[in-house]
Amino acid sequence: MTIVLNWVALVANILVPISIIIFSTGFFPYKPLLPGFARYEETNESRLPPAVFDKVIFMVVDALRSDFVFSNNSGFTSTQSLIRSGVALPFTAHASSPTVTMPRLKAITTGSVPSFLDVILNVAESDTSSALTYQDTWLAQLKARGDKLIMYGDDTWLKLFPGMFDRADGTKSFFVSDFTEVDNNVTRHISNELIRDDWSGFIMHYLGLDHIGHKAGPESPYMVAKQHEMDSVVSQVYTALGEERHLQNTLFVLCGDHGMNDAGNHGGSSVGETSPALLFISPKFALKGNRYDSPTVALRDYQYYRTIEQTDITPTLAGLLGLPIPLNSLGVFIPELLAMWDDARQRLHMLFANSKQLLRTVKEAYPNIDFDYRHTGIDCDLKSLTSLQDVQCAWFRVLHLSHKTDAYSDMDALAKSESALLLFSKSAQRLMSSTASNYSLQSLYLGLGLAGFTACLSLLPIKNPLVKSKLAGTFLLFNIISHSITMFASSYVEEEQEFWYWTIMAWAFYLHIKSCGTFYGKAIEEHDSVQGRWLSASAISKFGTIGLAVSYRVLRRWNQTGQKFTGESDIARSFFHSHQDALWALVFLTYTDSCSQILFHLPGSKLWRPLAFFVTVAALGFKLAFVASDSPELLCDSLGGIARMLGGSSLVFQARVVLCGIFLLVVLSTYSRTNIANPHNDSSASPLFHELLTLFLITQSKVTNIPVFLVFRVQVNILASMRLTTVEHAITCLLMEYMTFYAFGGSNSISSVDLSNAYNGIAKYNVITVGVLTFTSNWAAPIWWVSATRLLRYRQSWKKTEIHVLILTFHTAAMLMSVMAACTVLRTHLFIWTVFSPKYLFSIAWAIFNHTVVNVLGEFPSFFFEWR
Amino acid sequence: MSTSTQTPTNPAPPAAQKITPPTQILNTTIAKLYSTIHPLVLLILVTVRFDALVQDPISELLNDLPFLVGLQLLFVVLCLPPAGADEKHDPVHKSKAGIRRRVKTDAVGGVSGIVAGFIPGVLSLILTTLLATPVLTLLLVLFGAPATTHHAQTVLAGAHMAVLASPPLIYVHGVDGSVWREVWGANRPGDVVWGGALGTCVGAWFGAVPVPLDWDRPWQAFPITVLVGAYIGYAVGVWLGGSVLFGRRLKIEEDEDLDLDSEVEGKKTE
Repeated sequence: MTIVLNWVALVANILVPISIIIFSTGFFPYKPLLPGFARYEETNESRLPPAVFDKVIFMVVDALRSDFVFSNNSGFTSTQSLIRSGVALPFTAHASSPTVTMPRLKAITTGSVPSFLDVILNVAESDTSSALTYQDTWLAQLKARGDKLIMYGDDTWLKLFPGMFDRADGTKSFFVSDFTEVDNNVTRHISNELIRDDWSGFIMHYLGLDHIGHKAGPESPYMVAKQHEMDSVVSQVYTALGEERHLQNTLFVLCGDHGMNDAGNHGGSSVGETSPALLFISPKFALKGNRYDSPTVALRDYQYYRTIEQTDITPTLAGLLGLPIPLNSLGVFIPELLAMWDDARQRLHMLFANSKQLLRTVKEAYPNIDFDYRHTGIDCDLKSLTSLQDVQCAWFRVLHLSHKTDAYSDMDALAKSESALLLFSKSAQRLMSSTASNYSLQSLYLGLGLAGFTACLSLLPIKNPLVKSKLAGTFLLFNIISHSITMFASSYVEEEQEFWYWTIMAWAFYLHIKSCGTFYGKAIEEHDSVQGRWLSASAISKFGTIGLAVSYRVLRRWNQTGQKFTGESDIARSFFHSHQDALWALVFLTYTDSCSQILFHLPGSKLWRPLAFFVTVAALGFKLAFVASDSPELLCDSLGGIARMLGGSSLVFQARVVLCGIFLLVVLSTYSRTNIANPHNDSSASPLFHELLTLFLITQSKVTNIPVFLVFRVQVNILASMRLTTVEHAITCLLMEYMTFYAFGGSNSISSVDLSNAYNGIAKYNVITVGVLTFTSNWAAPIWWVSATRLLRYRQSWKKTEIHVLILTFHTAAMLMSVMAACTVLRTHLFIWTVFSPKYLFSIAWAIFNHTVVNVLGEFPSFFFEWR
Repeated sequence: MSTSTQTPTNPAPPAAQKITPPTQILNTTIAKLYSTIHPLVLLILVTVRFDALVQDPISELLNDLPFLVGLQLLFVVLCLPPAGADEKHDPVHKSKAGIRRRVKTDAVGGVSGIVAGFIPGVLSLILTTLLATPVLTLLLVLFGAPATTHHAQTVLAGAHMAVLASPPLIYVHGVDGSVWREVWGANRPGDVVWGGALGTCVGAWFGAVPVPLDWDRPWQAFPITVLVGAYIGYAVGVWLGGSVLFGRRLKIEEDEDLDLDSEVEGKKTE
């Protein structure tokens, strides 16, 4: 039996990552990219529409949501007067999810829809593999023409286009508390560059507005001030367009890369996040007689003026600048700007070039589809066509019209052709944007089947213990089944925290019944033997469950997370921001508690106590200095002075001192453990390791989450006073891991990944260290609970440990299976890339890092120590 | 999700573990009939008033409260044995077995039943207002009801749940400490009274399920789904408690770990 358990546990835990790998290969989109750079086909040279502009000033304001420019409470007053006078053409540019900077810049420059993996690469910011050096962009086309490009602002551009810019000054977006420096760093270059005439592409990327959003939200008073500042930059540039001779053929584009939600964050697919503003500005537009009203009333759906796709910027810019359209672009030339060519034949040719380029991308994605209408037997008059047939039919219509009116003489026929070409381009864009991925169904089913098999395999040996512990076993199954069902509903995925808050209260109720039952039932037999001590312990567990429930209620409100109720007040963001004293009192208490616990568990030697004390103090000092630069608004005045004093040494150095100190203590404790043969020392290594881990996790947590560790300690003491069985231990461990993850502010949205502690102690980007630090900072609470419940199960027999591991494996495999099934079944769902795929990514992190590494592999060292 | 109106102040365990037996419906035709119809009446009331509840929860909940109290009192007086009734009628039984057993006699029904039920009825009204409502309101907040807003809604939802769950319990059991300790530990055997009370709370818990959905319907606002869940739970609890689950208790298996260890021991000795 034991051997079977060993093997099942081993095989199941090997199968978990394998199923993930197989499923991922089939699920993550493979996009056929056309290599090389676009060139004009020489035969058509004669009919080429001439370039309307020869220079472009491209101003990106990070997170510039449409209403920030267009609504009547915006600070862009002079920009709005430009709209009214007809020199600025306003649009809302739909930015598809993921709404983070790097994929959005890819969409704007290449015109393609970035693959979902770009999100991960966006997190892994400095990864050069995501660079666009070998992809066709309008920047590359300008460069290929021999023109010069300059860039000031967000250094994401420099990572995407290494060596592209002749002059550049990148700004790193590290501390979001910086509202002014990041923008002054751009603005100070503008007047110099506007005088020079050697460039033809001038890119600015302002970060301040995004920082304000993250820090204070879209409604904050900083926001309007920042809008005024950006507005003054716009009018400065526009004035130069009129005054400088070399700028008279310059197009000025103002756009946001993405928007923001009501809480000021972005990454997801809510309407606020996907609706940035877009303006084409040039005195030339005034001649075309476009007039728009501005400002307009604030709209709830943020769709101001006409909504276009963000990818449409690429072919439009390419066409207006007289460049060939980048090969992989899925954009459609914006019809409003066609008016820049007076000759209808030139307009038509522009659209035709656009359509042919789109057709090439469609043909690349569907190599077996014939676009010659003589060969295919599609009935285009049918009502229900697939989107591919739609594209084919639109193309046939284009061909048909072009055959009929070869000379493009008839004005009516020209207009007809124009609309046919636009219709084709739109349908091709729709088709290609939706099929950004070609799933390999075989791999999907194989991965799914393997996860299902793993779940069944790990269930077999734990069936008996589960059946025996009737109510707890039922609870576990109920929990897993209902969780699996919720994975198919996008709102429950977005609001997953509600599920865990909901079930953990039921678990608190279970523990309550159990403690009452123990009290009145089983208690009696032991009553006499250990009367005094036992009574008090039972009282703790009896009223403890109420304490547990209260603590869950407090944790639930600690960080508001999810999508539906974002921005509602909570403890971390609302309460602590107005009560810094309370925050710091609790933080000091947490560090004091942590320090005293470490000192208590340290083995005898006098030398270590000062070291341990020093490390804790250094950790607190680092946190203070970090908060002073990351979120100074959380510091009260008295602490500001201390923080400034600490600011003398660099944060990286301070973090290194703390991390090395903790590491040294772990090594020392292990060393003493293996060398000092002390029979009474049996309970020191594991608790000491736990305390050191606690200090590390505190260091990796946001300052507003640090007091939660005090709550955790109370909860663990309550749980320790109850005599839980193996199954109950496993369920408690499981629920606490998930519940606290969300209580710490986690969610299934990419935008909720906290990167503020990802660079503690490292100066240079490195995938592994940044990855480990990111994981430990976002999963700090689950890791803590794994370690804490391990202490609760202290000296558990190996067989029980295996059952514990198998229950967790069963849960992990079942969760993976349901998420994979949801992703497979709903692969054509509207939210697949915005809700279900992020959930799948989070499940991978849960399964591989939290389950396999922390839960399963972490079991071995502690076992080793306990049974030496 | 404990349903209690009383916290046991004295934690000393009883000398022997004895469970007060489940309550039976009065042995009259009208009692049997009405105990089945009563939950249905409440459900119909919810259905009829649902739109008004969505429109203006506070005033609707407030206005419905007297009717609910009336219906619940009608139910307890018609169908349930009042507290203390059995001791008078069957003192021998109690002394013999040491258990306060409630054997129903026809004498409790009818006019004398209403007279005998007067004091428990008044008591249940007082305790429901003074104890059950605050306790259930606190439990609602503990289970996730808004703590800083929606105070009126939460208190009214707590009051409705209290009127559903507690008058039958108080009417039947009075202030019998041992029964209330069983209630506090959710350790009562299934009957109409306990089924209704537990069902109210479990139903309210399930009622929270539709809240996170992004359907943007007005009825997803806080107290509505929870209260509808509580009403449905009450009805289901009364029906099941009186039939299928009669006499059954929630039981937690304690011996699982001992089994596991003995299995290990067994293997070692083999």
